[in-house]
Parts: sequence; C-alpha cells; structure tokens
Amino acid sequence: MVENRPVLDFICHLILIAGVVVVIFPVYLAVIASTHGPYDFMSGLVPLLPGSQAVENYSVMLGTGISSSGTPPVWPMLLNSLVMALGVAIGKIVISILSAFAIVYFRFPFRSLAFWLIFITLMLPVEVRILPTYKVVADLGMLNSYPGLIIPIIASATATFLFRQFFLTIPDELLEAARIDSAGPLRFFWDILLPLSRTNIAALFVILFVLGWNQYLWPLLVTTDPGYYTVVMGIKRMATVAESFPQWNLVMAAVVLALLPPVIVVIAMQRFFVKGLVETEK
Amino acid sequence: MASIELKGVSKTYPGNVQAVSGIDLSIADGELVVLVGPSGCGKSTLLRMIAGLEAITDGTVSIDGRVVNKEEPAERDIAMVFQNYALYPHMTVRRNLEYGLRNRGTPRDIVNQRVAEAARVLEIEPLLDRRPRQLSGGQRQRVAMGRAIVRQPKAFLFDEPLSNLDAKLRGQMRIEIKKLQRTLRTTSVYVTHDQLEAMTLADRLVVMNAGRIEQVGSPTELYDRPQTQFVAGFLGSPPMNFIPVADLATGEAAEIQRRAPGVSVVGVRPDGFSLTSGEGGLALRARLALIEPVGAESHLYFSWGRHTLIAAVQGRPNVVENEEVTLTVAPPRLHCFGSDGRRLESA
Repeated sequence: MVENRPVLDFICHLILIAGVVVVIFPVYLAVIASTHGPYDFMSGLVPLLPGSQAVENYSVMLGTGISSSGTPPVWPMLLNSLVMALGVAIGKIVISILSAFAIVYFRFPFRSLAFWLIFITLMLPVEVRILPTYKVVADLGMLNSYPGLIIPIIASATATFLFRQFFLTIPDELLEAARIDSAGPLRFFWDILLPLSRTNIAALFVILFVLGWNQYLWPLLVTTDPGYYTVVMGIKRMATVAESFPQWNLVMAAVVLALLPPVIVVIAMQRFFVKGLVETEK
Repeated sequence: MASIELKGVSKTYPGNVQAVSGIDLSIADGELVVLVGPSGCGKSTLLRMIAGLEAITDGTVSIDGRVVNKEEPAERDIAMVFQNYALYPHMTVRRNLEYGLRNRGTPRDIVNQRVAEAARVLEIEPLLDRRPRQLSGGQRQRVAMGRAIVRQPKAFLFDEPLSNLDAKLRGQMRIEIKKLQRTLRTTSVYVTHDQLEAMTLADRLVVMNAGRIEQVGSPTELYDRPQTQFVAGFLGSPPMNFIPVADLATGEAAEIQRRAPGVSVVGVRPDGFSLTSGEGGLALRARLALIEPVGAESHLYFSWGRHTLIAAVQGRPNVVENEEVTLTVAPPRLHCFGSDGRRLESA
C-alpha cells in the first residue's frame, strides 16, 4: 500500500505490538523468575522485576543440579541435547537430500511408488509409531545411547519433499550440460546440486535443529540413565518433585539456559534462513 | 573435428508419438549445417539424439565413422550450446569454462592455456572472475560458447542459442558464430526456427517438417529452387505467395498447364511481382490494400479475389492505396507445385 493512512498504520502496529507482547511475556517471566530466591513464589504472585539471586541460581544449575529431583547438572544435559539436535538436523538433511536426489534424477522401477511411500509417512507423526519404534530400538539394544536417541527420528518426509521440489526447479539443461562436461551422477550431485542447495540446507538446518532440540517424548522413552537425559525432558523432571514444592527459580534458570542454543543458531543463521526461504536463484 | 553420419534415425516417444522418422543426413568435416523448421518439427530432438541426451529409437548416428548410439554424451566428445545457456550459476566464468576439462583430467597448464585462449577469442577476459548472474544475456551467450570451445570437441551442437537475445544482439552474435566457426573449422550442427538466421549461417540448410527432412541444400539453392511447397513457404520473408491454378484466368491457367503438366499451385516470391507490364507469364488485376514501407523496399499488400498477395518493390512505388493495379510475373519467376506439394519443373 503506497498511500499514507495514519489510522490504519496505528491499528496495524497496535496488533503487531500486542502479538509481540503476548509472545515475549512468558519468556520475560521465565528470565525474571530465574533471578529470584526459592520462596518468592509462595505468595502466588509472580514478581515482575528482577531479583538478586541470579548468580546463585545459575551457578547451582550449571554446577550441581537439583539434587532432590535426581537430575544431573544442566551442563551434561545441554550437551546431550546438542548432540541429539545436531545429529537429527544433519542426519535428516543427509538422508533427505540423497533420497530426493534419487527420486528426481534416477529412473528406477517403482520410482513414483517410492516417492509416494515417503510422502505418505508425512501423515504419521512419531507418536503414532512410537510403540513399535520403541520395541525395535530396545531389541537392537540402543536404549540409553545417542544412536537410539537420534536414528529413529532421522527419516524425514518433509525435508525430502522440500529438496525434491527444489531439485525440480533446477533446469534440465544444467544436468545435460554437466553430462556433456563428463560429470557423472555423483560429481553432478557434489559439484552442482549441493552448492545450489546451500541456502535451502541452511534454512532446513535451522528448522531441524530446533525440532531436534525440542524433542521431548522420544528421549523420555528411550533414556533411563541420567547420563543421557536431554535438557527439555530434564526440565520436566525438575518440575515434578515429590513431597515438596518445585524450586521454580532453579527450573526457570534451566529453562533460560535451554533456550539459548536454539536462539543462537537461529540468530547466527538468520541471514541464510531468510535467503533460503525467499531466494529463487538459478 | 569429424564428420557426422545419420542413417535412418527415428525417435518414437511412448504412446507411439513419432517425433523424428527416417532421417538420413551426412555432415562433412568442418561443415556448418543448420536444421530449420517450425516448432515441433523434430529438429531439437534430432540434435539431442546426436548429442546423446535422447535415446535413439531406430537407425544409427556415427561420429567420425564410429557408431555412437550407445555412448554417453561425454564419450561422444561433442559440445553443446543451450538456448538458456545452462551455465553453472554458482561457479565463476573461469570455473564454468574449466569444468569439462577438469572432469576429463586435463593437466592444469593446458586447462589454463585453453581458457585463456577462449577468453581472448570471445573477448570475455574481464569477466572471468564474475558469476553468470552478473553478466548480460550476450555475455552469457559468449561464455556458453567459450565452454564449448575450450574442450576442442569433435563437433559443436547449437540448440537455438540466440533465441533469448534481442534482435540487435542476435544479428551481432550470428556474425560472430559464423566467423568463429570459419576460424575453428569445427563441424557444427545448428538448430533454429528463425529462417533468416538459418539462411545467413548455413553452409548447408536442412529444412524439416513433421519429423522428416523436406530438403537439403545450400541456402540459395533452397531459396531459388524449393523442392516442396513447404520449403517454398517457409524460407523467405515476406513469404512466397501461393495461387491455386484454378483461380487463374482460363487462358493463363491453360498456358501454365501446358508448360508444367499437373500443376495445381503456382508460387511467386514477393519480389517476383512487377508493377510494369511484361510479356507472358501472369497478369493479375488487383487492388492495393496497404503499403508497408520498410526502408530500402516497400511491401505492398494486394487484394486479388479472395487472396491477399504480397509484393516487395524497390524504393517507393508511385501507387496509392485502393488503386487498381496490374501485377505481372515473368515466367522464370513462377514456381510450380503439383497437388502433392512437390515442385514441377516447367519447360
């Protein structure tokens, strides 16, 4: 809209600001809560201004953890989450770009059947297949291990589909030129397809990293050894303690710490992320 | 450099769609052959079969005396220039030029030398470190040609390489391609739907229609003595006028029948009409509907019965629109075609 309409502008901004406030407020509360002492929440009123216990709370979480709920310090859990999120993001990208490559560029029997089978799994979220998957993972002895945390989540119809759509926009002549230039399939993939997919890969990495980081149900099922707890499920354990009040100040400190890595990844890769979503470079 | 030999080459797509049928053509070493025809006539398919990008249903393609039907494009040692250039967007111009050579394991110093040489010939030296996206259409076209040249292949295949350029640039690049081909003397097959491009570039012209070759010959040969009505109508701008013999005056029709028995259509090039009266041939009384001055000559559109006739005359004619004029055609300027569309030689 080119014309200047102050009233409309005002209303638009009001709605946008209201939306931002709604999103930001709980995060703000978490940050505030993590700076108070353990008894500041007993009154039922949540304080809105920072307290004085920030250093103590964070050092407890990073150092010893909450002993009463049996969770380890946040450090190892953050590390577990990082391993899982990276594993899931990288694994998904590798698997899906390769399967998209096969589906788009190779003529093999039942090619479209293969594509539709992958596509159909979009309809089946992890929760639907969680029992059989658990059984398989348990039988393979992968409980309480990184492979057990990562591998079952890797297969991704969404990413395969996105890569397929992207590959379909690459002109056929590029493949033909590469064939004339003596590039075999793998060289074509490595020299041409992969560099062209760079921004898409970056955008997907951001999405998948956050997705992997936020996994809750699956780590809850396959890990019983605190050494493999991820931070998201660890927080849940801290909040449900028997025979005492949850130490909300400490829980919130863990929440804030758990929030940081995805935020860092998103901010660091924001440039590529936006580019990957909007750019149609050919 | 090499000769290319096509024997009975056919292409049938699934669903029994015959795109190309029974093409016999031999292209001599160093020759520039242009395949021309309306869209969908199979010329691109034929080129892609020579390149190895399209499987050959029937017949054989040989390059340099060796049948290459089963070979991959890379093994055929040909280079191709695509309509949309097909440059690798993420590589610099230099990398684009080098890519084919590197994949073949050419030694570094030879690669550098060939790229430098091609860049010099095509005058793209200042562009070597840019990306395709930063180049204009004409520059991209040069890079695409450079990519073909550096390989020093047995043959160049051009697939409508100029159709993405504007008219002026197209004319310029046409001349450059011709010069380049003259210098390098590399066997070339060039596909276009633009008959002007075809006429000016070709050593030999192949006119195709509906998957078959209509006529092969030098551009002037095809223009002067088209063997079919299709070739006659396709080459030349403005196109040839076709007049059914049945519409002619009885005396004229009889005279033409006598000279070329079986004639059903006579063709006259626009420059074959004369506004001054002449002896023999045809004299058509027509009304001038429109004058189109195009510079050195003028195109006159006449209504003659239910036909529109186009005449091209030098300079500015001294006739006005809506005037009744007698158009005459000298007998040698008449092209006679039988009812099957084939040329009939008149006695």
